[in-house]
Amino acid sequence: MQNNMIKISNLEKIYRTEEVETIALNKMNMEVKEGEFVAVMGPSGCGKSTLLNILGLLDDPNGGSFLFNGEEIAHYNERQRANLRKRTIGFVFQSFNLIDELTVFENVELPLIYTGVKASERKERVEAALDKMQIMHRRNHYPQQLSGGQQQRVAVARAVVNQPKLILADEPTGNLDSSNGNEVMALLTDLNDAGTTIVMVTHSEHDAKYAHRIIRMLDGQTVTESILREQL
Amino acid sequence: MLIHYFKSAWRNFVRNRIFSAINVVGLAVGISAALVIFLIVCYEFGYDTFEKGAGSIYRVVLDAKINGMDGHSAGVPAPLGDAIQREITGIALVVPVMQFQGDATATVSVTRKGNDEPVVFKREPDIIFTNSQYFSLLPYQWIVGSAKTSLQNPFSVVITARIAHKYFPQLPVTAVIGRQINYNHDITATVTGVVKDINRQTSFTANEFLSYTTISQTDLQDDFMMNVWDDWMAYSQLYVKLNKGTSSQLAEAWINTLYEKYNKKTDNKIITFRLQPLHDVHFEYAYTGVGQRIADKSALYKLVALTVFLLLLGCINFINLTTARASQRAKEIGIKKILGSSKQHIIFQFMSETFFITLVATILSVILTPLWLRIFRAFIPPGLHFDLLHQPDVILFLLLLSVTVSFLSGIYPAFILSAYKPVLVLKNQFVKTGHTRSSAVRKILTVSQFTIAQFFIIVTLTVIKQINYSLHADMGFNENAIINFDIPYDTVASHRQLLLTEIRSLPGVSRAVTGFLPPADPGMAFANISYNNGKERLTPPTQIRWGNPGYINMYQIKILAGRNVLPSDTIREFLINQSFAHAIGFVRPEEAIGKYLQWNGKDVPIVGVMKDFHDLSMRSKISPTVFGAADGNTFHIELQRGDADKAFWENTIVAIKKDYQKIYPREDFSYQFLDDAIASMYTNEQRTAGLLKWATALAILISCLGLAGLVVFTTNLRTKEISIRKILGASAIEIISLLSKDFMALVGLAFIIAMPVAWMVMHQWLQNFAYHTALSWWIFIISGLAMMLVALVILGIRAGKAALANPVETLRRE
Repeated sequence: MQNNMIKISNLEKIYRTEEVETIALNKMNMEVKEGEFVAVMGPSGCGKSTLLNILGLLDDPNGGSFLFNGEEIAHYNERQRANLRKRTIGFVFQSFNLIDELTVFENVELPLIYTGVKASERKERVEAALDKMQIMHRRNHYPQQLSGGQQQRVAVARAVVNQPKLILADEPTGNLDSSNGNEVMALLTDLNDAGTTIVMVTHSEHDAKYAHRIIRMLDGQTVTESILREQL
Repeated sequence: MLIHYFKSAWRNFVRNRIFSAINVVGLAVGISAALVIFLIVCYEFGYDTFEKGAGSIYRVVLDAKINGMDGHSAGVPAPLGDAIQREITGIALVVPVMQFQGDATATVSVTRKGNDEPVVFKREPDIIFTNSQYFSLLPYQWIVGSAKTSLQNPFSVVITARIAHKYFPQLPVTAVIGRQINYNHDITATVTGVVKDINRQTSFTANEFLSYTTISQTDLQDDFMMNVWDDWMAYSQLYVKLNKGTSSQLAEAWINTLYEKYNKKTDNKIITFRLQPLHDVHFEYAYTGVGQRIADKSALYKLVALTVFLLLLGCINFINLTTARASQRAKEIGIKKILGSSKQHIIFQFMSETFFITLVATILSVILTPLWLRIFRAFIPPGLHFDLLHQPDVILFLLLLSVTVSFLSGIYPAFILSAYKPVLVLKNQFVKTGHTRSSAVRKILTVSQFTIAQFFIIVTLTVIKQINYSLHADMGFNENAIINFDIPYDTVASHRQLLLTEIRSLPGVSRAVTGFLPPADPGMAFANISYNNGKERLTPPTQIRWGNPGYINMYQIKILAGRNVLPSDTIREFLINQSFAHAIGFVRPEEAIGKYLQWNGKDVPIVGVMKDFHDLSMRSKISPTVFGAADGNTFHIELQRGDADKAFWENTIVAIKKDYQKIYPREDFSYQFLDDAIASMYTNEQRTAGLLKWATALAILISCLGLAGLVVFTTNLRTKEISIRKILGASAIEIISLLSKDFMALVGLAFIIAMPVAWMVMHQWLQNFAYHTALSWWIFIISGLAMMLVALVILGIRAGKAALANPVETLRRE
């Protein structure tokens, strides 16, 4: 039996403006085990992205509990969250979110710089990651010079270069054609097979089938959970 | 990490060429101005800092109160030095410094070889008479001779190596000992020592030192008034170095007591001596020695203020453009934060980008500096040079300046940028156009920028208006087509009359007289003239002029009552001006006619009253002035007018010069047009105006660059809005006004703020002029309109482009 990497209970997130109050997460509960690959699905506005932001320690909840590896982190301040984030979490976005001013190599190198890895080791690890994503030959190009599929592979390389325990993917194939999309899904599956926990938000039933388990959300709550295959 | 920062700084710099260029140019203008001012300030404040024990060196200066008039002099009565030496202990060194009279220069002749004709050097400056203690005051290095012996005997002279080389180029420096140098065809001295030149900034500019004992062996004994206690010349200065433990107050008291022993105080002539610290000698105008260059501290401070303003303008551009464009960098910041960057990292990154831009600006400003040295030419001291590689203090200054400027311009944008929340960035929710706090700050900064520019415009226009007024106001006498020149002191009285007759017979000359100063002159010539009205003696501070009676006609000075003076070779009658008449209590000019004035122990009748004319610049009130008939050594010549063209005048002047040199073959002929002489009284104002014009142009340039940057930015943001409006039927004019009106409001607000401030400052400034132009409303209107117009042009160019773009194209791209 694997340990819970993530356990959220009664998690709440409310957005307030002067006129309206929007409940994005409504006492949501969810668990993710170490090594698991979970897909989160649901219609637009159901709170998927909010959930992912909170899981990624980019946003803080208004209430409820968030245990990460058994530790309560709902009350963490920004600095503590940033510290935990850079060591344990990798991100893959629909719009890739590469920095236009940096080359492929430098984009991938960035997380290592922030965790204080030495230059020689950085070079080694970036090259290994780029190799693995088969994008090494583009190392000195800028993001604008790459196709969408290539950009997403760079983004995945950047997400894994720090060897995070958890990868959060927000519609990773949303901007890709199906063959590139399949390639990216295969990469994520490989990573998962190698032990990385993955939580992926998606609209695509096809992509969701790569996961062990699908959580379907509506109005900030989990409505159903379906297990597709057993985690090894 | 640092390399990473610089790499990203460089790429951002290249990617946003326009914004980078605006920032770099804006900052470079300020930094190079700062560099030049730094050079000037360092140079001026570096004066006389190399003397050992400079803190205990003083110049003895004189304050006088004569008939209620305050006067100051760098010169002291000549016997004072010897008396101090003899009678006061506690003073380590007493060093008299005496210059030749006139313009403190001398004609020097040297015989280089055997019986060759002597080589003559005219108007040689920096020759003094002094004693051997001079060389203890200043750290001279002796090449030949010694401080102890070289100046002991009369007719000895010590020269610097440069002078040795100039006078005797064929000889090695050591071989000039024993050579003779003649001064003013009068004194011949033997070279007894050579010292190395001191190539530092100093008020001690002399490089030929004649022994002090020479004076008593020659006619100079009388010329220099060596035994006169109650008078003094500016040519006779005195330095002292106090013993350790002697305070300057104490020494001052000793000297004043000593002086009283030799010269009793009288009620209308109070003389006190003051010890002027060496480090003030270069800065106090009141005690300017003959030929001495003085630096104006307040002008230096104003230059510093000017630079600070220019620097601020550059910083403001940077802050405005960076914060305006911040949203474009939001994604980058968001991603970096997601990947683990802390707020400090982001701040550090932006600070290093700012430093990078400042560094580029600094390099550019070093390149621009020679140009600036030209622009500031009038303010640049003659000895100042710029050579970055040999001036480590300048490099240090630039480094500190770069860091400071980076900090000022970078810190606020860095905080704004680093505060972006990554989650908002991911949701694309960061504020793109909205009225955020930073946009309010931007408005305030833009207003400040234009306030400064607007202030400069108003100030410059007012200064120019005042100069115009000063130059073209009616002086109360004719100043056109008149030249003046002096003849040398001459024992043959007939020479003057001969020259005058010759000149009068020239066809190009309409009138010619001899006399004293022209009606207006920057110098002052006060005479002690009093009037006894039966109850009291009135002695107004009075300017005196004299000349042949034709002087009055030539200068077209109006006589309001009485008649002109009769021809005479010495003053027997006076004309007085209205101010003098008022000063001695007469309301109507006629009342003064026939009254007697006391002057030089004589009673002199008033025969007429002149209409007031300006005797000094417009800065000063018209003084009580008298005119008497007498010959003088200044020639006043009116050239023919009418069809007079310049060439015709030049021919006449050549003819005058010929006549002059027939009589004075050894003298140079130098003349000046009176209107030029009057214009030169406003050299300072004209320099200021020149500088202000530049500063204004630069202030406008920097501000408009910033404005242009902001317009480009907002127009880009509103491209979609503009397209939709156009599709819905908005005209180009409507689009332009839509884009411009917010900015124009800021420029307008700047005008409203600048106006009263400029009014106050200029009102104050105009008080320096007893006669000044009005601070007219139209100056403000024109300044405001000019600023608006420039801003409108800048706005129009960019907004017009947006307004004319094809909306369909734009929307398709969106």
